[in-house]
Amino acid sequence: MSVGLTHYLVVSLLLFCLGLFGVLVRRNLLVMFMSLELMLNAANLALVAFARYHHNLSGQIMVFFIITVAAAEVAVGLALIVALYRQRRTAHVEDLASLRL
Amino acid sequence: MLLAFLGSLILWARDATGEPAVTWLALGTGTGGLQIELGLKLDPLSRLMLLVVTGVGSAIHIYSWGYLHADRNRGRYFAGLSLFTFAMLGIVLANNFLMLFIFWELVGVSSYLLIGFWFARPAAAEAAKKAFLTNRLGDFGFLLGIILVWAALGTLSFTELEARLADDPAALGAAASVAGLLIFCGAMGKSAQFPLHVWLPDAMEGPTPVSALIHAATMVAAGVYMLCRVFFVLAVPGSVALELIAWIGGVTALLAALLAVQQNDIKRILAYSTLSQLGYMVLAVGVSGASRDPSVAMYHLTTHAGFKALLFLGAGSVIHALHHEQDIWKMGGLSRRLPITFWTFLLATLALCGVPPLSGFYSKDAIIARTLESGHHGLFALATLVAALTTFYMFRLVFVAFTGPAKSQAADHARESPPVMTLPLLALAVPSVLAGFWGIHRVYGAQYGAEPAAAGSWAQQLVEPFAHAPLAAGAGLAAALMGWLGAWAWYRAALQDPLPARFATVARWLRDRLYFDELYERLIGWTQESLARLADGVDRWVIMGVAVKGTHGTFELLGRLLRLAQTGNLQTYAFVLVAGVALLLFLVMAR
Amino acid sequence: MQSLSFIILCPLLAAGLIALVPRNYQVVFRSLALLSTLLSLLGAIRIFAGFDTGSAALQFEEQVAWVDSLGISYHVAVDGINVGLILMGAVVAFAAVCVSREITARQKEYYLLLLLMAGGILGAFASYDLFFFYFFHELALVPTFILIGVWGRGEQRNYATFKITLYLSLGALVALVGLIALYLEAGHQTFNLWSLARQLEADPIDPARQRYLFPLLLFGFGILVSLWPFHTWAPLGYAAAPTAVAMLHAGVLKKFGLYGLIRVAVPLLPAGVQSWAEVLAWLCLGNILYCSLVAMRQKDLNLLLGNSSVAHVGFAFLGIASLTLLGLTGAVVVMVAHGFLAALTFALSGYVRQQTGTVNLDHMGGLLERLPFIGGVLVMAFLAGCGLPGFANFPGEALVLFGAWQGYPGVAILAAWGALILAAVYMLRAVRVLLHGPLPERWGKVADAPHLWHKLPYGLLLAALLLFGCWPRLLTDKIQPCVADIVRRAEAPPANSAAGLARIALPPAAAPALARPGATDGLTASRHPR
Repeated sequence: MSVGLTHYLVVSLLLFCLGLFGVLVRRNLLVMFMSLELMLNAANLALVAFARYHHNLSGQIMVFFIITVAAAEVAVGLALIVALYRQRRTAHVEDLASLRL
Repeated sequence: MLLAFLGSLILWARDATGEPAVTWLALGTGTGGLQIELGLKLDPLSRLMLLVVTGVGSAIHIYSWGYLHADRNRGRYFAGLSLFTFAMLGIVLANNFLMLFIFWELVGVSSYLLIGFWFARPAAAEAAKKAFLTNRLGDFGFLLGIILVWAALGTLSFTELEARLADDPAALGAAASVAGLLIFCGAMGKSAQFPLHVWLPDAMEGPTPVSALIHAATMVAAGVYMLCRVFFVLAVPGSVALELIAWIGGVTALLAALLAVQQNDIKRILAYSTLSQLGYMVLAVGVSGASRDPSVAMYHLTTHAGFKALLFLGAGSVIHALHHEQDIWKMGGLSRRLPITFWTFLLATLALCGVPPLSGFYSKDAIIARTLESGHHGLFALATLVAALTTFYMFRLVFVAFTGPAKSQAADHARESPPVMTLPLLALAVPSVLAGFWGIHRVYGAQYGAEPAAAGSWAQQLVEPFAHAPLAAGAGLAAALMGWLGAWAWYRAALQDPLPARFATVARWLRDRLYFDELYERLIGWTQESLARLADGVDRWVIMGVAVKGTHGTFELLGRLLRLAQTGNLQTYAFVLVAGVALLLFLVMAR
Repeated sequence: MQSLSFIILCPLLAAGLIALVPRNYQVVFRSLALLSTLLSLLGAIRIFAGFDTGSAALQFEEQVAWVDSLGISYHVAVDGINVGLILMGAVVAFAAVCVSREITARQKEYYLLLLLMAGGILGAFASYDLFFFYFFHELALVPTFILIGVWGRGEQRNYATFKITLYLSLGALVALVGLIALYLEAGHQTFNLWSLARQLEADPIDPARQRYLFPLLLFGFGILVSLWPFHTWAPLGYAAAPTAVAMLHAGVLKKFGLYGLIRVAVPLLPAGVQSWAEVLAWLCLGNILYCSLVAMRQKDLNLLLGNSSVAHVGFAFLGIASLTLLGLTGAVVVMVAHGFLAALTFALSGYVRQQTGTVNLDHMGGLLERLPFIGGVLVMAFLAGCGLPGFANFPGEALVLFGAWQGYPGVAILAAWGALILAAVYMLRAVRVLLHGPLPERWGKVADAPHLWHKLPYGLLLAALLLFGCWPRLLTDKIQPCVADIVRRAEAPPANSAAGLARIALPPAAAPALARPGATDGLTASRHPR
């Protein structure tokens, strides 16, 4: 049995759903953040698979962009989370509702 | 002031007429346009009136100098007095309706300032307000009348109007009566005719010289003067205005004379007497429709200005001597203590009552005769009755205040006023006595195109009324005599008023001025005040409340509803986001 | 110096300079403000004096192109209608700076904003370009809000600030929509009023469209002038505003809406005016009668004055609605006169408040004893307010009544009732309660304006009222030719473009006699003394 496009896409979908589930359910900011990364990587996997299937390199280029942006995002996001933790001594989303009227 | 008087004398002597004018406002031409001039109209009518205003005015200015010598606000007082005189002269000389209206209003406002001169006294402040508002009520009609005349004839100049109405008496059409009555409204306010008479007695709160100037000689006369000035508008054929004017004048005369019988304040008695005499003049205007010559009204106005100013100044002198005591029942015996005041006052009283050969007799007789001539027998009876009442209340005043025993401490120690006050009294006594001989009515008659009758000798003038209309003259004299007898019988030596004991209800009603003030207060309270209340309520609750706050509330409610969605929970937002994406995907895919 | 730009730029430049001066030079702010407004006042007087009376043409014109593609240019000029308003605005601006002595907190920002407001007002009245016309108005309006919010007084300050901001922004917005719609409908790619007027006369907008364009402008500008029933912001706002702001706004800025109606809406949309004039005439009765009645019930002097100011503005509306030469001329005179009067009354009430700390009429009484000068001026101002001859309001209101009689006699009667009776009732009541009667002991320390310099602003405004009251031809002769032009357009039958063109070809025959420019012939003739 050869591994076709469908298999890649199914894995990508599973990964994406795992990430989404993590973002929606987990209360810890750090874990939510990691779940977000998971979703991004699921998208990357799908892009690479499509690029291979269509013999078109633009999908792979897109992945590079995403990885770069994700790196920057992690740097900023982690820094924010750390700063927030220092300020509030918590990384729980339910404790961070001070913007609510 | 004296200069103005001299100036008027010169104008008089040179028999000047003319109409110099500068344009004050000019807009457009033709029927839609409006040309207003500030012009001076000199003719026999205004010339003689000038003499009256400046003459009486001068006497009163001099008198005021003595009366107010201790007041530190004298500057304000004389400023007001001069403004008043200026405005009054403006009325006299005005050559068009709008200019007349302008000075009319200025007279109103300067009287407001003068009546309210002692503004710290609530009564004076209220009286000033009342006077101005009542006048304004009349002016409202006056202005509408002016606009009506302008809309119909396209001009406001007296000369042009008169010419136009002479060409085509029906030019005003159906509006003639309405316009005439509206214009009369102005006179009603200023000359304090019923039902706008209520301000005049209250206006006695002002300094006494002001009462003399405003409420005797000039301001109230302005209404009558205006009626004579615009007589050509009132007297157009088919207009019922004059008939109504005559009756209003008659009613005012009677009403005021009745009210005067039961007043105890010396100035109020004079005020009601003024009202009553003004009623006479208005009546005279009203009955002159047939002869197209209201000169008798002006005749009475002229003589009345002299002796009524004298009466008021005399009263002022009494009040001054008694340190501002105005109740006649606290006077008495003043004839010995204030001889000059007494004799001049008595002269003026006699003139007012129409005793020959004093001036009042001739002018009053002319009016009574005129009512007979024009066939108004009801008004003739009324006028005669008023003449009797006049004598009655005036001699009640004289008997109580000047004769008999002194009824208070102050009356016992009264001193005659200084010469600066008594000299004007003497000066005014001259025209009061002699004005009947000068043939004043002929001068006025010239204004209305009467043929200049040859002036007879003094003796002829003296007996002319008897020769001319013996019934009227006799009736007038008899009335005066009856009035005097009544006063003599009841008040010769009275210490208190005998009338309330005999006719308790009537006397109380009269003393309380037939409850006109109360009636008006209620009426105004019910209409104007409740309207204002309503408008204020609508403003506060409907416009500011329901409309504005309602709009504001709707938006705020929407805001509150939307705020409920903002829970501040990150995962809720994320879930909504995902659900939204899923929904969109589903919609797109399902196509 | 005889230049309109000079008048407008003086305050604006001074505002810029004030922004640069460090905060601790307190005395500089006030003197700069005084100097600049004085200079622009002198400039305005020179323009008023140098105005060629009797001509309907633009004078003292200055034009600089700005955005050619949209047809926007900086174009200032005066004609008979705005020359009086500019003079009035300059006088009031100077007086407003004079009475700002009471402000002690944050003087730098205060004078900066006040001068911006003054410059904006003068610019709005001088502009002949719709874009700048609107721009200058907003330039004046925005500082108004800040000034009321920061330097205002009373407990209701915040509410009043919100209210005035929302109302006026809404009004300005509706007017803006109307102006843009007008620009698009006209389709001539120009914001210049003068050329718009010429082009629209030859080729008018379709009457049906005019009928929906006009109410946009009417209500937009109407809200700015507190047309009933959009008036409730005015009394509250003026009660809360600092004295100088109330003077400038009630006196001058508010007239912008009326000016916009006379300058833009009436001449450019003649068919629209004709179908809406009746509505306007009845609405302004709401101003005159209703607001006078409301004023009778007020306990707060400033609320009373605010309501009376709304009532007076009704006469200007009535004049516009009458669409006659007399009525419109009267409306312009009322605008100028009421500008002086409103500024004067608010200045005086500001003085009274400064001295007594209250404007509640229940606590007053007998103040004339302590304030002979201020009280005297107050009495005169109140008498002017009830339309006494001798003050500038009288010729204005009388002309409006004469003009309105031709079209709406019923309205004219009721308006006369409002002018002669109701105004007198509430004004005299205020005089009675405030100045007359015995003096309560607690006002023993109240002091009159000490010397000439302090009396100057009041004297100046009163003198202006008296000047134009005694000699109204100073204004009316200037106004008449311009107004005659407007009336001629408004009276012409709503024509399609062909008929419009035909009318241009032979104006003297088609135009009614009274509105013909030749009407000035009678004027020149009557000017010679007989």
